[in-house]
Amino acid sequence: MTVAEFGKAVKNLKGKRAPLTKKQKREARWGFFFLSPWMIGFLLFYLLPMIASFAFSLTKFNPAVPDETVYIGFTNWIRAIFNDKEVLLSFTRTIHFAAISLPVGLIFALFLAILLNSENVIGKTVYRTLFYMPSMIPLVATVLIWNGVLNEHTGWINILIERFTGITAVGNDGLRWLADPQLVYFAYTMFGLWGVGNAMIIFLAAVQGVPTELYEAAQIDGASWFRRLFSVTLPLITPVIFYQLVLSVIGSLQYFLAPFVLNQGTGFPEGKTRFYMVYFYKQSFSFFNMGYGATLAWLMFIVALIITVILFGTAKYWVYYATEEK
Amino acid sequence: MTKKNIESRKPLPKKTRDLISSTLLTGMTWGILVLFLLPMAFGVVTALKTESQASEIGAPWYPASKAAYEYEGKDYDMYLVPMDGEMKEMALIQTGRQESQFIDPDNPEAGLITWEGSWRTLERSWEFDPQWSNFRSAWETVNFPRLLWNTIKYAGITTIGAVFSSALVAYGFARFSFPGKNIFFMLMLSTVILPGAVTLIPTYFVYLQLGWVGTWLPLMVPAFFSWGTNVFLIRQFIMTIPVDLDEAAMIDGASPLRIFFSIILPQSVPALTAVSLFHFFWAWNDFFNPLIYLTGNADKYPITVGLTAFNRLYSQQSNLIQASALITAIIPVIIFFFAQRIFMQGVVITGVEK
Amino acid sequence: MRKLLYVISILIIASMLVTACQTAEAPETEEPEVEAPEVEEPEEVEEPEEVEEPEEPSGDVVEIRWFVGLGAGSDAGTFEAQQAVVDGFNATHDDIELILEIVDNEVAYDTLATQIAAGNAPDIVGPVGVRGRDTFYGAWLDLDPLIESTGYDLSDFDPALVDFYKIEGQGQLGIPFASYPSFMIYNKDLFDEAGAAYPPAAYGEPYVWADGTEAEWNMETLKDLAMYMTVDANGNDATMEEFDPESIVQFGFQNQWTDPRGVGTFFGAGSFLEDDGVTAQIPEEWQAAWKWTYDGWWTDWFIPNGPYGGAEFLQHGGGPFGSGNLAMVHNHTWFVAPWAIDGSFAFDFAATPSYNGVVTSKMHADTFGIPKGTDNPEEAFTVLAYMLSPEVAPQLLAIYGAQPARLSLQEGYFETYMETNYPGMEFNTDIIAESVAYADNPNHESWMPSFLETTDKYNEFWNYLANTPDLDVDAEIEGLREDLQGIFDAYFEANP
Repeated sequence: MTVAEFGKAVKNLKGKRAPLTKKQKREARWGFFFLSPWMIGFLLFYLLPMIASFAFSLTKFNPAVPDETVYIGFTNWIRAIFNDKEVLLSFTRTIHFAAISLPVGLIFALFLAILLNSENVIGKTVYRTLFYMPSMIPLVATVLIWNGVLNEHTGWINILIERFTGITAVGNDGLRWLADPQLVYFAYTMFGLWGVGNAMIIFLAAVQGVPTELYEAAQIDGASWFRRLFSVTLPLITPVIFYQLVLSVIGSLQYFLAPFVLNQGTGFPEGKTRFYMVYFYKQSFSFFNMGYGATLAWLMFIVALIITVILFGTAKYWVYYATEEK
Repeated sequence: MTKKNIESRKPLPKKTRDLISSTLLTGMTWGILVLFLLPMAFGVVTALKTESQASEIGAPWYPASKAAYEYEGKDYDMYLVPMDGEMKEMALIQTGRQESQFIDPDNPEAGLITWEGSWRTLERSWEFDPQWSNFRSAWETVNFPRLLWNTIKYAGITTIGAVFSSALVAYGFARFSFPGKNIFFMLMLSTVILPGAVTLIPTYFVYLQLGWVGTWLPLMVPAFFSWGTNVFLIRQFIMTIPVDLDEAAMIDGASPLRIFFSIILPQSVPALTAVSLFHFFWAWNDFFNPLIYLTGNADKYPITVGLTAFNRLYSQQSNLIQASALITAIIPVIIFFFAQRIFMQGVVITGVEK
Repeated sequence: MRKLLYVISILIIASMLVTACQTAEAPETEEPEVEAPEVEEPEEVEEPEEVEEPEEPSGDVVEIRWFVGLGAGSDAGTFEAQQAVVDGFNATHDDIELILEIVDNEVAYDTLATQIAAGNAPDIVGPVGVRGRDTFYGAWLDLDPLIESTGYDLSDFDPALVDFYKIEGQGQLGIPFASYPSFMIYNKDLFDEAGAAYPPAAYGEPYVWADGTEAEWNMETLKDLAMYMTVDANGNDATMEEFDPESIVQFGFQNQWTDPRGVGTFFGAGSFLEDDGVTAQIPEEWQAAWKWTYDGWWTDWFIPNGPYGGAEFLQHGGGPFGSGNLAMVHNHTWFVAPWAIDGSFAFDFAATPSYNGVVTSKMHADTFGIPKGTDNPEEAFTVLAYMLSPEVAPQLLAIYGAQPARLSLQEGYFETYMETNYPGMEFNTDIIAESVAYADNPNHESWMPSFLETTDKYNEFWNYLANTPDLDVDAEIEGLREDLQGIFDAYFEANP
């Protein structure tokens, strides 16, 4: 895929275009100059591993016995696309979970950024730090914390819910956050929200960058706070919302670490948390079917790339850039 | 009636309005914050408990130790025992299913007192007793100063490299037009989209051939060649900066490099700060890369790898894990607290220049 | 120098490619500009230089890397003792430099796989049990040629144990190092509180109830005893009407830290594979053990089920038993160590109960392996022989909590071990040696087709049972058998 694309890029560069003017040539040269750190890094550290991993997908490759690797053509691809039910099942679970966690995560981060940018909130700098703090706690501690607070018998969350609402939340018949197939995605969403800090600072940086005179102008026009939010702030930070959206989509498709550390990738409960990348990881590093794992990864890559390209296609309808893309 | 009301309703004075919205918004922030940090509090509380408190039935949620009474050279737990119509604090000497033996600390000479009933139903006396020494044990179990120093070095150096190189590349993508730009951009995003786990083995192979395995090089050098997500983010920010300034400078004969340093970089300070923080904390929490490339070089480990000492094969010392996690988080929290002031400055600069 | 050349050549190729891409547009001036970012390069290479070590050791010293993490040995408390062994080796050998690589167990498998696949295999791996060894099936060197060429003396080992490491078609994959028999361990304080007699201290003895009646020490008796030892917050035990299963504060029994094969083997040794080598089966004993356990989770309440397993009062370094709120546990000698049982309550060892008159005590065994990928098998074997020697092995055995495989080291070993770790306490150490006689054959960790996938499948099944009440266990077991058959069929199709 990449190789083909790359080849196409090269071809595009070589032929068919009208010759560039001198000014255009100069601009292109500068463009390539600024791109060169990435290009060199790509050729040095990424291109070869990418090609190699694609080559893996055409083999039966067990990392424990690399000498016994054999070329098997597209057998892995046929298995993944036509024969392996788990591929589609785990992909559906991924999408299902993303449909819950992605909007919640984006909106919460944006909401926090706007709240913590408001001049009417006293002590913002402290709050920002506090909201960011959980992102700095090492993963092993985070997992223990969540296993602790979500425990059905002794977890604080259930005890508080029971105390304040009177609903039976504690015990075997209570809210089994990590064990109940109906609840587990919400539990994982909460877990994910705890890492909201990164998205929050990115949105904060964007909101801070909105020129103040635009607000003042809107205020003079008598626009309400909500109107200002929707007609000034949000449109102006669409480039960053777009960025966060693309990254969140990619991140959701690659969602893997939380289920893997919370339940060692067992898919518990009832396989609900065996997301696509968990399945990929199990095949590659638990079952040592590295060849098939590589196939799964590349299949996901193709899907994610298509979605990304589509998102970029929609950008021109809703993303506002100060500079029009040339 | 209604009409009159509307007419007579004057807008409240600005000061009052600000006060009300300040109170409301600050209150709301507090509410969210409390919920948000509840698990954090659980972590802190755990860090202050003794290892055995968690497994004590009926232990309170806060760090506490059982009140104890020394009797004939041994410590016994204190319970609240109903005796003669009142609750009496007594030490439980011998447990039993139907009856248990207690001793009255006020009157130990009276000897063992038998109480009929299940001792498990009794309330215990607890004393608030945070174990600050957990932090010391955590600090002493692993070589924190060295781990922190390694981590600071790793996070610091790669942040500088990643942000600077990414800013250069982002500028190239944002402001110049050249053939194949979109393809290159997608190619760059491809490195983000393709899961790192699938390229792990060949990547390791490349670094092995370079002779870099066992050194910091595989972790640091690639950072200087930009990273897709960072480039993408900075590009988005640069594209929100109006081109007028660049064009004016261009007409004055400034080279693109000059424009980059004197216009783009200063205008992007909030974005660069965000990306710096982003990358710094990413590197701070990076576990798998240092593990793979530094295996066997314990003196080079960053904090994440070093902390696995608390995460034993079968047993986990939750209190020490939480204590060490809090120690680990202190430096990034301080950095974050001060770095966000740059956000403020960023706004000022943008404001002035426009 | 070599790698510098490599970098430069790659840079040249890179810039050539970049230039080639652009020859159509901007051939002449491109070159100098591409070099601009290279200015960065010196600064970044410069920095790590101080931390970099000399790539090739001077002279003829061979580096031997010892990888620890697949089993015991990645706990913080064991680091020093292992490093001491390494230092001891390096002090006495000029031609070999031994390097210790300790990786946390959770990530050790990925790390080792990456190293082997990329051609950077370590030279010695261990201690590694049957499970770890079979995860890397086919990756181990046959030691027979080395044993022969060096004339290694195997006479101090039980020949049966030596054969335990001889694998059909692969050869002698290890030399016996340590074994870990299993038996019952019980919390004396909880039995005293309940006024119940301790479980039998020797095989063949009956259990004596408080009223003086004797019962054969079998699974039925264990269940009754364990239910009596299971108590709720009101002090009622699981045999009583008033017992409240929602507020259990003390459990009676658990097969702690094992998988369905281990639990099944508690009732009798068996295998998922029929004797024909292709058909999946669930041995009758295993089915009985699983149903017994399932009832223990959900109706008899004497074993902590999934939800209770995460409850705070059972959390401890040594799991539920270590917390002091579990009366009896069946586990291996490696569990009898201060990190798991801290000595805050009195405990002792007892006989494993029988099922249908047969006692089975599952066995763990550790060794060190040499991966096929090593460049220096002879030197690796020298290190291996050093670690297994009667002088050095005890240092390692003591930290791993193992019974020595060397016959000459076994005498009085556990008395000393217990006295060192739990001074002043008395233990029934005889039961440890006696349990060896009931070792499971086939071993509960034996290889099966698609080892890892099969493991994953039955663990998922087990997890489901542990967390779901009111299941038709027979139907679930049949479902598992079908799933396993599917995995086996796929395996034999791919590997005829």
